[in-house]
Amino acid sequence: MTQVTTARPAERVRAPRPAGRRSFTKLPLVYIVPTLVILLAFAAYPMFVLVRMSLSDVGPSNIIGEWPFVGLQNFVDVVSGSEVWASTLRTAFVAAFLLCSNLIIGFLAASVLSVKGRLTTIVLGIMVFVWALPPLVSGSLWKFLLDDSGAVNAVLGVFGLPSVSWLSEPDLALWSVAAVIAWASLPFSILIIRGGLLAISPDVLEAAALDGAGYWRTRFQVVLPLLRPTLWILGILTVLYAFKSFDFFYVLTRGGPGTVTTTLPVQSYNEAFSNFAMSTGATIAVISMLFVILIAVPYVRSIRMETTE
Amino acid sequence: MIDRKISRLFAVLSVLLGLAYLLPLLWIVVTSLKTNSEILRNPNAIFFTPTLNTYAEVLGSGVGAILTSLQIGVIVTIVVLLIGVPAAFALARRVTPLWGHIIAVGLAVLLVLQMVPQPMTVIPLYSVLANWGLLGTLPGLILADIALLLPFSIMLLRPFALAIPSALYEAADIDGASSFQSFRMITVPMMMNGIFTVMAIVFITIWGEFVYAINFLPEGTVLPVSALLAQQNTTYAANWNTLMALAVLTALPLLVLFLFTQRRLVNGLSLGAVK
Repeated sequence: MTQVTTARPAERVRAPRPAGRRSFTKLPLVYIVPTLVILLAFAAYPMFVLVRMSLSDVGPSNIIGEWPFVGLQNFVDVVSGSEVWASTLRTAFVAAFLLCSNLIIGFLAASVLSVKGRLTTIVLGIMVFVWALPPLVSGSLWKFLLDDSGAVNAVLGVFGLPSVSWLSEPDLALWSVAAVIAWASLPFSILIIRGGLLAISPDVLEAAALDGAGYWRTRFQVVLPLLRPTLWILGILTVLYAFKSFDFFYVLTRGGPGTVTTTLPVQSYNEAFSNFAMSTGATIAVISMLFVILIAVPYVRSIRMETTE
Repeated sequence: MIDRKISRLFAVLSVLLGLAYLLPLLWIVVTSLKTNSEILRNPNAIFFTPTLNTYAEVLGSGVGAILTSLQIGVIVTIVVLLIGVPAAFALARRVTPLWGHIIAVGLAVLLVLQMVPQPMTVIPLYSVLANWGLLGTLPGLILADIALLLPFSIMLLRPFALAIPSALYEAADIDGASSFQSFRMITVPMMMNGIFTVMAIVFITIWGEFVYAINFLPEGTVLPVSALLAQQNTTYAANWNTLMALAVLTALPLLVLFLFTQRRLVNGLSLGAVK
């Protein structure tokens, strides 16, 4: 920060400003000091601690105290085990599932809901409400609905179908959780895609209609290509969400039965807070942070381009 | 462009989509109005005598939880705004080229911080708070919550600060106003829409936050509603009516807000998405 204060007078010589302005130019720094303090102490410093933890041997006994440095031993242990790879695959599965639902169903539903009218307003209102619900609430709701004697099985029973153990059947649990997350995140993608749809000039659609293109042909050959930037960003956000999502797993299955719904964030949390292997948890957290950064780079770039333009 | 057949199909699809979201919501409310014995007999009964007993029970034993939730929610919201609004103001004023660079870097950092998954911050924060003697205290939880929501809040507030025409600041300068005076008399009043939006979102998020609350509050303290709900979920023989009543309570601030601002929220979100 010292650089900031020493460099500023030079700027001022280059671009002289009226006297009143000058007092103003000095001050922006003051306004971000509280933010800097809080974020350094409780966001940036913890990230540093996380990395240090992953390079040390920390358990429940020495969480306060000396942390023996072990180099990359934790990473070697974690990567040579099979569990972290299984978790990565499960995370990738959730990401792929969400990509399909958010982009494909999202596009179709956004098309349906871009018709103006009272019905659209009501349906969008309900969906936005669900999207804004804490995942804790929507997760609890689905835990109840998918219970062995829950409403979903009752509906199946009405049609004479046998009931299904949605959340405790090992082959099915991950699909069920992914479907619940898809249900909860679909409203957001509909909003984003709908925003993109509404931004397309009606002239373009009219021109397509004049050329004799039918509704569906226009949708897929004219509208879809125009939406590409929107869908690209939404895709990145969706994959990031899969690597972040934790609440639904915590509420619905806690990573079980066994470990069949243990994704990377779930595994790192369980290692740290159920097995009290803080270092292992931190190591897995660092690994999944690397994934997040890798995925986020193009997103941060595009946002930065937008803000500097 | 859209012929009659398609628009009829669309109406049907819209209704189906709406039901896919409305029916589960109604089911929470319906279940929370049943008695426990009713649920044990037939968990999916559609016809039953509704009762507010479950709410009476939950409220009776949960007054403390609601107070804790309120306390955390109010303090976090106020502090986030007190810190975040000035920061958004500073990050919206490109007063010198150098400051412009600082803004660019600051925004990138905020964006990255906002993307760090919470299960990954909870592990190191546990040790950080423990070392600073803040683990198992309300201030520790509140500080962690503030740091969790601050990046996002500043990103959301900044466009509102950007929208203020700089001519206003120049006029205030000519009138001899100090920087703080123009912040207080121009920026804050003109950002009121943004401030209310962020206030609502922060409060709702904190009301539903449970990962920090479960780990950072000591055992035996009065947990907030959200943590209570999360704990109920883990006990295997769940009382579904209690669980659903707690779920309604956890969703309550959102429900209240939604009833008042539904239309503006939907339109605002659609507009925000366009940009």
